[in-house]
This record gives sequence, structure tokens and C-alpha cells, in this order.
Amino acid sequence: MHLGFGVLLGAWIVLPLIPLMLWFVAGQWRAPDILPGTYSAQGLIELFSPQIQSATATSAALGTSVALVATPLGLLAALAIRRLPRTHSRFVEVVLLTPLAIPPFALVMGANVLLLRIYTPSFSAVVLVLAVAALPYTTFMFRSALASYDDRFEEVARTLGANARQTLAHVRLPLLAAATARAAFLAFLVGWGDYIATLLIGGGQLRTLPLILGSAAAGSGNEQLTAALSLAVIGPPLVLLAALSAPRLRERIRR
Amino acid sequence: MSERLPERASRRALLMAAPAVLPVIVVLAGALFAGLLQSLGLMPFTGEPQLSFDAWTTGSGEILQAAGISLYIAAASTTLSVVMGFMIAAYILAMPISGRVIAGLSAATIPIPHLIAAGTFGLLLSDAGFLARVLGMPEEFPTFVGGPWWGAAILEYGWKESAFVALVVVGSISRRVGDLCDAASTLGASPRQRILNVVLPLALPSLGISAIIVFVYTLGSYEAVWLLGPISPEPLPVRAVRLFGSVDLAARPDAMATALASVAVGVVAILAGLLVLRRFKGLR
Repeated sequence: MHLGFGVLLGAWIVLPLIPLMLWFVAGQWRAPDILPGTYSAQGLIELFSPQIQSATATSAALGTSVALVATPLGLLAALAIRRLPRTHSRFVEVVLLTPLAIPPFALVMGANVLLLRIYTPSFSAVVLVLAVAALPYTTFMFRSALASYDDRFEEVARTLGANARQTLAHVRLPLLAAATARAAFLAFLVGWGDYIATLLIGGGQLRTLPLILGSAAAGSGNEQLTAALSLAVIGPPLVLLAALSAPRLRERIRR
Repeated sequence: MSERLPERASRRALLMAAPAVLPVIVVLAGALFAGLLQSLGLMPFTGEPQLSFDAWTTGSGEILQAAGISLYIAAASTTLSVVMGFMIAAYILAMPISGRVIAGLSAATIPIPHLIAAGTFGLLLSDAGFLARVLGMPEEFPTFVGGPWWGAAILEYGWKESAFVALVVVGSISRRVGDLCDAASTLGASPRQRILNVVLPLALPSLGISAIIVFVYTLGSYEAVWLLGPISPEPLPVRAVRLFGSVDLAARPDAMATALASVAVGVVAILAGLLVLRRFKGLR
């Protein structure tokens, strides 16, 4: 009975993704057939079309830029929160959480006019707004990593004669490497999967994967393209996630 | 000298926080202020600024209706995701081996953006979608996509956010729950009793926090309600984005008023949620 419950939960999680997989490999799939009538590699070929290739590159650039901005700033903010007196640190914490409370579309719509007035190029404008949206996540990641961080490691290094830079390079950064990877991953996702900021600020100039997917999914008869684009969006982060968790898994097995 | 040292350290810490705090304040305050000015006609796209409360007065009926729909969608999605998320979390915590499989599957859905999830729920739930085909295309198959109850959008939010709720609950109580469950089972508690009398009370605070986050998120989320909802009536985000993208630039103030109304509803929801949470803490 318990296993049956687990199967039901598994179905809840996996079932919505099945039509995606099937449409990706389907050739002809007419209702009311439960399975595709013919299979084809068209979806796979679609992924290598110049349009999707360049959209993938744009999305990757957007995700990477957001990560490059939001990760170091999140680390600095988390370190500052730890050192500041309580009243100040509460202020910093609350400010860095507020982007979560503002609906992204409202933020983007308000900011759009300002960014237009100061002639910000649309790519940098999208990066700026998304970095603000990603900062709560990166700060939180570093906050929780620093909560279990032991300052004595650095003190020992200093007692052993390491200077500030050596302590930073050989003690603090390696100890925070895992948190950095997680924070950067989350920030990358914010840019990689964004739809609304790219749509409203980019104004159609930035052709990212989600933007193409949005117009494909809104039209009818684009099931195959929708499926191919969805997998193009889901795939790379899952590979990244597997790469990030592989060392930890190996360690667990060795133990 | 010794008194100044902490002051200097704290000034340095403030400088460290500045590169993160300043852009957030500038973007948020700038966006809200520019939105307010535009909703009042004081920052027009073209032409002379002219103070007008039209977007707020003549549009108030539609904004209120949109807010009602958004609150309904957010409430239904939050309920679904909290219930499903708790069940997933309880299963992960109670079942050491098969729980790990569920934990892995559930965590793998977290990086999927809502837009993609909305697209796949369209493929699953539309009139001739996968589910209808599996069931043999019954006549009475409900209109999930574009239907009057936003069924597909609510299921999409519930599905995506249940994984988030499970992640938060497992992350916050997994260390404490193991020993307590062992103790309860030594005392003869059945799995059902362990879940209802040990796991649930421990999980309540994290369920509360994640419910607030999910509620506010779904309130302001655009993709699923746009792709999977009916064309009319519209929830807040759909109305705001449609008016914003309208060729008629005179619709801008209405778009901004709708956006600011969404911000206000979200803030009220957070405050109400925190108040309820605090009341609960007080009770214990």
C-alpha cells in the first residue's frame, strides 16, 4: 500500500512530462491515438536549426551574465549581513528579499520606461532587472552556507602565517565553492528561463529560447516544436545540476 | 581607538553590501515610482504630462475583477501545492529507499521554468491532449485549457510548486524528524500516526512560509494564466501585460495601475500571511 502511494506520487511528478517526450519523437500523432502513429527525428533536427542554435546562445549568454552579476554580489551581501550589527543587517536582509514580493511583470513594466529614457541597451537592461530578481536567491544560498561556516579555519590559517590573500584563496573560497556553484546555478536559471523580462524589455530584439517557445506554445499545431524547445530549455540545466551533484554523490558512495 | 574599530568594520561591511543593496533599491523604487507616475498620466510615452486619475477610477471595476480572479487562482494553486508538497515530503521522510527516488524526481522538476511547464500542461490537458486520448476522448472531458475555472493553470502551478514545498519542508525538518519518528515507532505508532502526529506538526512552520511564497508567486506569475487561461475575463498579470503591449499608447496608464494593484495585493497577502503565522506561533 505504501509503495502504491509512492507510485501515485511518482505519477503526479512524471505524468505531465510524458506528452513532452512523446511529441519530441512523434512524426504523425492524430487524436484519438494514444501513442504517435509514426516516429521521426524531426524534433531532434529542429534543435539544430540556426534559429534555435542562436536562441540557445542568447539564452546561455543571458543566464551567464545574470550569474556573473548576482553571484559575487550575493556573496558580498551575505558576508556583510554576517558582520553588521543587527539593526543594519536586518535592513540589508529585508531589502534583498523585497524583489521576491514584487510580481516580475510589474517590476519590468515600471523599470522599462526608466531604462528606455537612459538609453540602456536592451541586453544590459534585461541583465540588470534579472540580477535584481536573482539576488534574493544568491544571497540566501550564501547566507545558509555561512551559517555553518567556521571562522576558526581562517584563524588557524592566519596563525600559521597565511596572509589575507592566501587565506581567501586557500581557505575561504574552497570552503564556499559548493555554495558558490549552487548560487550561480540558481542565478543562471533566472536568466536562462526568463520569459517576461525578455519579452517586455527586449521588445522582440532578444530572441531567447523561452521567447520562441512562448510564441510556439501560444499558436496551434506547433506541438512538435513546443516539445523540442522545451527539452532544449530543460536539458542543459539538468546536465549542469548532475555535474554539480556528481562530486557529492561520489563522496557519499565512497563513505 | 578600540571603540572605533567595530565602527570601521561595520562601515566596511556596509560598503560590501552596497553593490547588492543599491541596485535593488534603485530598480525597485525607480520601477514603482515610474509606474505610479505613468498610471497618473504624468510620464506619458508621447505628448505633455497631464494629471489624470482615469486609470484608477474608470478602470477600478476591471482591476477589482482581475484581482478577484488572481486571488482565486493563487488560493487554489497554493492549496493544491501545499497538500501535494506535504504528501511528497512525508513520503520522502518516511520511506528511506523509495523516498529517495521520489525526492530525486521531485527535485529534478525544480529547474523547469513555468513557461515550459505551462506548455507541457497544454499538451497534457487540452481537449485533444494526451490525457483525453488516454481516457478514450470522453464527451464529458472537462475544459481544463481555456476553461472558466483556470483548471490547467491551477494544476500547472500546483504541480511545479508542490516540488518547491516538498523541498522546503524536507530541508527544514529532515534532521529532527528521523529520531522523533524512530521514537514514535518504538512506542508503537503506525506510519499514519507518525505522519499526522510527528511530521505534520514539525512541518507546519515551513508549510506556512512556503504557502506565503507560493501564493505571492502565483499571484504575480504571467506565463501559465496567459497560455492556459480563457481569453476573458483576465487575471491581473494578463490584463497588465496586454494593456502594456497595446498599440494604443493611451492604455499605458491602465497597464501601470493594474501592475501597481498587483504589487499592493501581493504586499497585503504577505502581511496577512505573516500575521497568521505569528498568531499560530503565539498559540503554541
